[in-house]
Amino acid sequence: MTTPHTTSHTTPHTGPAPTPAFTPTAIPAASHQAGRAPADPPTDLPSDTVLSVRGLRKGFTLHTIDGRTVDALHGVDLDVAPGEHVALAGTSGAGKSTLLRCVYRTYLSGGGSIWFRTAAGDLRDVAALPDAEVADLRGQEIGYVSQFLRPQPRRSVHEIVTSAGTARGMTRAAARTAAEAALHQVAIAEHLWDMHATVLSGGQKQRVNIAAGTIAPPRLLLLDEPVSALDPANRAAVLDLIARLKETGTAVLSVFHDLDAIERLATRVVVLGGGRVLAAGPPSDILRDSNLPLEVAR
Amino acid sequence: MSTAATAPPTTSAPPTWALRTEGLGRIYGDPGPASLVGTGPDFGTEISPATGAVVAAWDVGFEVAPGEALGIIGESGSGKSTVMRCIAGDEQATAGTIALRGVGDGTVNIRDLSPTARRKLRLQQISAVYQDPAAGLNLDVTAGGNIADPLTAIGWRNYGSIRQRAAELLQRVEVPVGRMDDAVRTFSGGMRQRVQIAKALANDPPVLLLDEPTTGLDASVAAGVLDLLRHLLEETGIAAVVVSHDFGVIDLLTRRVLVMQHGRVVESGLTDQLLEDPQHPYSQQLVAAARG
Repeated sequence: MTTPHTTSHTTPHTGPAPTPAFTPTAIPAASHQAGRAPADPPTDLPSDTVLSVRGLRKGFTLHTIDGRTVDALHGVDLDVAPGEHVALAGTSGAGKSTLLRCVYRTYLSGGGSIWFRTAAGDLRDVAALPDAEVADLRGQEIGYVSQFLRPQPRRSVHEIVTSAGTARGMTRAAARTAAEAALHQVAIAEHLWDMHATVLSGGQKQRVNIAAGTIAPPRLLLLDEPVSALDPANRAAVLDLIARLKETGTAVLSVFHDLDAIERLATRVVVLGGGRVLAAGPPSDILRDSNLPLEVAR
Repeated sequence: MSTAATAPPTTSAPPTWALRTEGLGRIYGDPGPASLVGTGPDFGTEISPATGAVVAAWDVGFEVAPGEALGIIGESGSGKSTVMRCIAGDEQATAGTIALRGVGDGTVNIRDLSPTARRKLRLQQISAVYQDPAAGLNLDVTAGGNIADPLTAIGWRNYGSIRQRAAELLQRVEVPVGRMDDAVRTFSGGMRQRVQIAKALANDPPVLLLDEPTTGLDASVAAGVLDLLRHLLEETGIAAVVVSHDFGVIDLLTRRVLVMQHGRVVESGLTDQLLEDPQHPYSQQLVAAARG
């Protein structure tokens, strides 16, 4: 990428006064170009920490609605180690999904750092990396499973899960075999495998999504309400699958709708409120603390 | 803008990109600096108030890696097709650098090459697929004849080999090989577009430029062509630039995207980030419009 697109106006402007297209919203070019200057990595991190979020801020400027601004995160700190499952909790609007999306770079963060330790052991600030490098990390090392599968049109269930495996370095043959195992695990019947994922039910899509997200698990997996549309039996099967990620050393950062799933899976709970960390600790302590604003009572 | 790309490299390692532009610009009319003043998104026009020149594109820079697809989105007149035509050599850029890894390991500014040398690049280094198949094909010639064109131009002489290669390519773009000897004029819009794609791939170029490849096709036909392109981009190591006004096309085919308005790049980002968290006012307008 080149430097920001500013043209130096060396010649005096002689024509009629131009009408600016957008009035006072002069944004510095750097704010909408990816790859701002990275900060120095923290020196106090354990050498195996996979994700270390420091002072993360995020706001939205809605130019189509009077330039209104909405602040979502106000300086969040958070670490996730290999094999650890950190669940985000808090009321709706607390910033849980926003945090996940910033880590995946679907959202551009407005300040702070998102340190990710690569398989090679380097710390990279996902908030500041060039787009192409983020795209490479996403293919191989950082996965994201949202509650909505937005399947590519006209692509079969089997192909979606298989290509997730090849994207993380499996051979095509190995990925096909692993895809079949994963689809069995989430109880997607074989007669659905060659169907286009777009025609599946919401719950089936969600299970295909989690199968694709956990095949050849990435080093860091972001889960955004991955069981929200599932009936109890399928939900249990998917929670089992997620629980087994600890054995592969995958670092998981998740948002779950229900406290049962958090209690079952999380090694640590981080409670967000108003875009800040309100509390953090083991689920046994946090979930029983009646003073914390948790989304759903049991 | 730096002209470093034209300087001899100090190391011999080839670049990681297949295509790179820097400071690319195209001005119709007075190319002097006076024409830039008062143009661009901040002024809501690409027409110079001082000279009347049209600054169709200015200061456009990006890199595309092998196997990667980069989108350029914007409305009509934003300059996105101009950028593509300057890279393809259909028109001469006014300023900037265009480099291909396949030409001198990326050290040559192909803008400086002679028109003859530029035309040669179109045979093996860069291919383009246009919205209108008539721009890339001779409609009165058979499908096989159109595909044979770039092959014979680089020295293929054996009739049997040429036909075999044409048949292979038609199969790849899912056109019945039995239609090889029919004039392209007798083909439907979607089939013509597939033949154009087959011709573009004939010599396995490392860079493919796609200008609104499915605009103008019926929705179901466009879907088929998009699927074909998606598979080709995934299966080949080709570097692609996809120019479109349609976020659906950009979303399906590309992983990074530039947004252009009034001849300038106003924002660049990962494609999903551009769709979910657009920063620039114009990008926000485009996304809001696409969402309905």
